[in-house]
Amino acid sequence: MADSSWTSSAESLKGVILDLCGVLYDSGEDGGTPIPGSVEAVKRLKASDLKLRFCTNETQASRDKFVAKLQKMGFDISVCEVFSPAPAAVAVLKDRGMRPHLLVYDGLLSEFESVDQTNPNCVVVGDAAGKFTYENLNDAFRVLIGLEKPVLFALGKGRYYKEADGLSLDVGPYMKALEYACDVEAEVIGKPSSAFFHSVLSDMGLQPHQVMMVGDDLVNDVGGAQLCGMKGLQVRTGKYRPGPSPVWPGSGRGAEEMGSRGRWAMC
Amino acid sequence: MSGRRALRAVLVDLSGTLHIEDTAVAGAQEALSRLRQAAVAVRFVTNTTKECKRNLLERLRRLNFDLQEEEIFTSLSAARRLVEQNHQRPLLLVEDSALEDFAGLDTSNPNAVVVGLAPQHFNYQTLNTAFRLVLEGAPLVAVHKARYYQRGDGLALGPGPFVAALEYASGRSAVVVGKPQETFFTQVLSELGCSPGEAVMIGDDARDDVGGAQNAGMRGILVRTGKYRAGDESRISPGPYLTCDSFPDAVDHLLKDHLL
Repeated sequence: MADSSWTSSAESLKGVILDLCGVLYDSGEDGGTPIPGSVEAVKRLKASDLKLRFCTNETQASRDKFVAKLQKMGFDISVCEVFSPAPAAVAVLKDRGMRPHLLVYDGLLSEFESVDQTNPNCVVVGDAAGKFTYENLNDAFRVLIGLEKPVLFALGKGRYYKEADGLSLDVGPYMKALEYACDVEAEVIGKPSSAFFHSVLSDMGLQPHQVMMVGDDLVNDVGGAQLCGMKGLQVRTGKYRPGPSPVWPGSGRGAEEMGSRGRWAMC
Repeated sequence: MSGRRALRAVLVDLSGTLHIEDTAVAGAQEALSRLRQAAVAVRFVTNTTKECKRNLLERLRRLNFDLQEEEIFTSLSAARRLVEQNHQRPLLLVEDSALEDFAGLDTSNPNAVVVGLAPQHFNYQTLNTAFRLVLEGAPLVAVHKARYYQRGDGLALGPGPFVAALEYASGRSAVVVGKPQETFFTQVLSELGCSPGEAVMIGDDARDDVGGAQNAGMRGILVRTGKYRAGDESRISPGPYLTCDSFPDAVDHLLKDHLL
C-alpha cells in the first residue's frame, strides 16, 4: 500500500493526469463501461485544488467522439482537457512537411483532414484494430519500403489493452511488424514519449515533480511519466496483470499500487 | 584439401539450386542421378511455408527430377517435428495448401502456435487469438522469419513481421525452425541418423543455406545460381567449404573427392 513518502509527495502535488482506458473505463463492443467508482473519483478531483488533465493513447476515435462517449457515461470531461496522439501527430507532420499514408481506424481519419495526404512520404500507424488486415499492412509496408528514407510514426507503442472479452493487440505489435519488415525504427507520438507528456505539463503550467500520472500501463503510463520526472501511480484495473513487472530502467520512486478500483491516495 | 571424411548425407536446396521457377538448372537432373549412384542419403531441403511437400514434388517431377516425397524436408516439416516432439496441439497459422503437412496432429484446444506464411490468417481476430495463447504460455514456433517476398504484384510481407508482432505483444521469443536455424539442419540429420560432420549442404543462399549448415557443423557448398550474387562467399564467416558454378559442379566435386 502507500508508504510514508506519500505524505511529502502529496504536499507538492498540484496536478493529476489521468489515463482513460483501463483507469476510468474498460473498452468493449458496446463502447465501454465505466470502472466502478471512477465517475465519482473524477468529480472529487475536479472539486479539489488539483489541476486535472486526461491523457490517452486512444486512436480509434476522434477526441470529439470519445469525449462525448465518456460524457454519456457520466464523466465530467471536456475536449480541451484531453491530450491524445492524433492532434500531436498532426502538429508534427505539418511542422516537418510530412505527408502521411494513414493506417488508422476509420474513426480517426477526421483528425487528419487538414493534412496533405497525397504522394505520401511517411506512414502513420495507429490502433487500427479490425483495419489491420494483411492487405492494409502490406499497403503501408509498400509505401515505406519504396521510400528512400522510410519514416514511420506510431501513435503510441502499447502492447495490448483490455476489452470486454479479453486482451487485444494494441498499435505496438503492428508498429514492430512494420519496423521489422523495413528495418526502421518508428517515432512514437503519444505516451510514453516525453515530448507528449511535456506538452500536457506545459498546458497545465506545472513542473513535472508537481504532477502525478495515474494509469494501468506500467510502461506507457507510469514508466513514461516517471522518466519525465512526474510521479506515477499504477492502478490494478484495465490491462494490469499481477506478477513480476517487466524491467523498467530509470524508474525513480517506483510505482505505487492502489488496492480498490477508482480510488486514489489523494482523494 | 583435407583428407577424405566419410560422407553419408547430401542436403540439396531446391529453389535457386535445382531449379529457378519452372526451369531446371542445366544438367541438374542428370547430376542428381549420378549422385544417387553413390552410397549417400539425399534430402531436398527448403524454407517454403506455403507449399506442402506434394506440391513441391509435383513441380520437381514435372522438371524430370527423380525424387520421392519422403526425401523432401521443409521448414514446415521442422515445425511439425518440433510440435510432435513436445506433444503440443498447435494453432496453425499456415496456408491451406500447407496444412496437409500437419495432417494427423491434434489441433483441438491449442497449446502452441505455429506461424507460417498465411495472409488469410494474419487478420486482427486471428492474431489476437494467437497472441492470447502465447501470452498465457503457449510456445510460439515460427516456420521462418522472412521479412518479405516477391509476389506477382509486388513485395509482400512475410511471416517475420507477424512473428515480431507476437513476440513484442507477449514478451516471449519465438523458436524459429527454418533455415538458417541450427535446429532445421539437426532435425533433418536426426531423421537420417547422421551426424553433421558426415553431411554436406548445397545451396545458393550464402547465409541461409551454407552459413546455416556450417554453423550446425556440416560442410557447405555455395552454388552461383539463383539468388547468388558475386561476393556472397565473403559475406559469411567462415566462408563456404567450396564455391562452384552450379549443382552439377558440386556433385562432380563430391563424387571425385569424397564418394568414389
